Amino acid sequence: MSRLEIRSEVTGNVWKVEVAVGDHVDAEDALLILESMKMEIPVETPCAGVVSELLVKEEDAIEEGQVVVIIEADT
Amino acid sequence: MKAAVLREQNTPLEIEEVQVSKPGPREVLVRPVAAGVCHSDLHFLDGSYPYMLPTILGHESAGIVEEVGSDVTYVSKGDHVITCLSAFCGHCDKCLTGHLALCQSPEVSREADQEPRLHQNSQPIHQFLNLSSFAELMLIHEHALVKVRKDMPMDRAALIGCSTTTGVGAVFHTAKVEPGSKVAVIGCGGVGLAAINGAAIAGAGQIIAVDMVDSKLEIAKALGATHTVNASSGNVVGEIIEMTQGGCDYTFEAIGLKATAEQSFQMLGAGGTATVIGMIPVGTMVELHGVDFLAEKKIQGSNMGSNRFRIDMPRFIEFYLAGKLHLDEMISKHIKLEEVNDALEALKSGKEARHIIMFDS
Ligand SMILES: NC(=O)c1ccc[n+]([C@@H]2O[C@H](COP(=O)([O-])OP(=O)(O)OC[C@H]3O[C@@H](n4cnc5c(N)ncnc54)[C@H](O)[C@@H]3O)[C@@H](O)[C@H]2O)c1
Ligand SMILES: [Zn+2]
Ligand SMILES: [Zn+2]
Repeated sequence: MSRLEIRSEVTGNVWKVEVAVGDHVDAEDALLILESMKMEIPVETPCAGVVSELLVKEEDAIEEGQVVVIIEADT
Repeated sequence: MKAAVLREQNTPLEIEEVQVSKPGPREVLVRPVAAGVCHSDLHFLDGSYPYMLPTILGHESAGIVEEVGSDVTYVSKGDHVITCLSAFCGHCDKCLTGHLALCQSPEVSREADQEPRLHQNSQPIHQFLNLSSFAELMLIHEHALVKVRKDMPMDRAALIGCSTTTGVGAVFHTAKVEPGSKVAVIGCGGVGLAAINGAAIAGAGQIIAVDMVDSKLEIAKALGATHTVNASSGNVVGEIIEMTQGGCDYTFEAIGLKATAEQSFQMLGAGGTATVIGMIPVGTMVELHGVDFLAEKKIQGSNMGSNRFRIDMPRFIEFYLAGKLHLDEMISKHIKLEEVNDALEALKSGKEARHIIMFDS
């Protein structure tokens, strides 16, 4: 198992958290939905794994490059 | 209702049956009559901008009010409206300091735990930029539309919903172009042509249009360009510095590329201002030569022409009706919703001006 830091590509506000700690996710699943300049932008996981840490909550303001979720990647 | 749904990036939109929720207290149900296909739609289709899927693209439209929510007094059934993605809350810092286009208040969309505005058999469909106009009905916040005069043709009105407001607004509001000044616009699509037309209305002295397609440069001339440069011929920056005898006072980038954003800065004269309108792909960095700042050259972004659209759009209609704003030349084709993929494909080549979807009434 490897620990993967998921970062946001853009600055924005967390509109919705789509996962909970312990959830299993597949590659390209949306973990969070950010709202940025009217856009609904997903923060996706590049690989399958288990959500081990959620570092943000709804309505938080996020900076570009900020680590928002930690995934324990499968294999 | 019928809608063009984007399910996966880089795949054609699918015409599907979609359901729309009932208007909430401050929402308005609009039946679009016309919707333009803008290059921004393509950026989300090709993934240079990520978006929640499935979604219904489209954000440049005009239509007729079908139904209003219980608290809406600004419009009523039958009113003609233009929609705008710059939905404003009206009471945040940005709104109250006059920067309505920068409002980011979440209250103009529904909350995460409310029923979504759009869905398909209870599965949510994400609304695109609070609008989603490639659909037979739009459910939007009352602050995402402006009431307009009924004698304004709807296909022309639709253009005002994005490209006109973005291009003319970048000239009037973001850059505040001074009469007599030297202007260059890089990219002559719906947005760039509107910037050229705006510069002509603002009284710019020299207006240089840049594109790679000669037919676009011809339209640019009809809209007020005094000079044209075909970018495929090589040294665009050098040519423009020569034409202006030392560089431009204002430049506008209306494509969305790193290279042309950098050119827009390089072709400025001392004290000049570059305004980047094009949507440069997420993750792309733009490089500038540091020494240029000593000449007080400036670069800035522009979102939807820094609009106050409820004031701007009716004014643009008056400009059109007075013959100052040339919207007829911007439309190359009227199409049906089912032909939207062809319109998106045509945008890739840059050869044609706007395609406008006309909905069956
Ligand atoms: N900032 C905003 O609020 C906002 C709003 C609307 C649109 N946009 C963006 O503005 C840009 C233009 O939109 P549009 O709908 O007018 O696009 P368009 O496709 O209609 O026009 C682009 C034009 O640029 C020309 N072109 C392409 N590459 C070129 C190059 N290297 N040199 C010179 N010319 C070149 C094409 O021939 C075409 O005429 C897009 O990036 C769009 O997303 C931004
Ligand atoms: Zn647009
Ligand atoms: Zn606001």
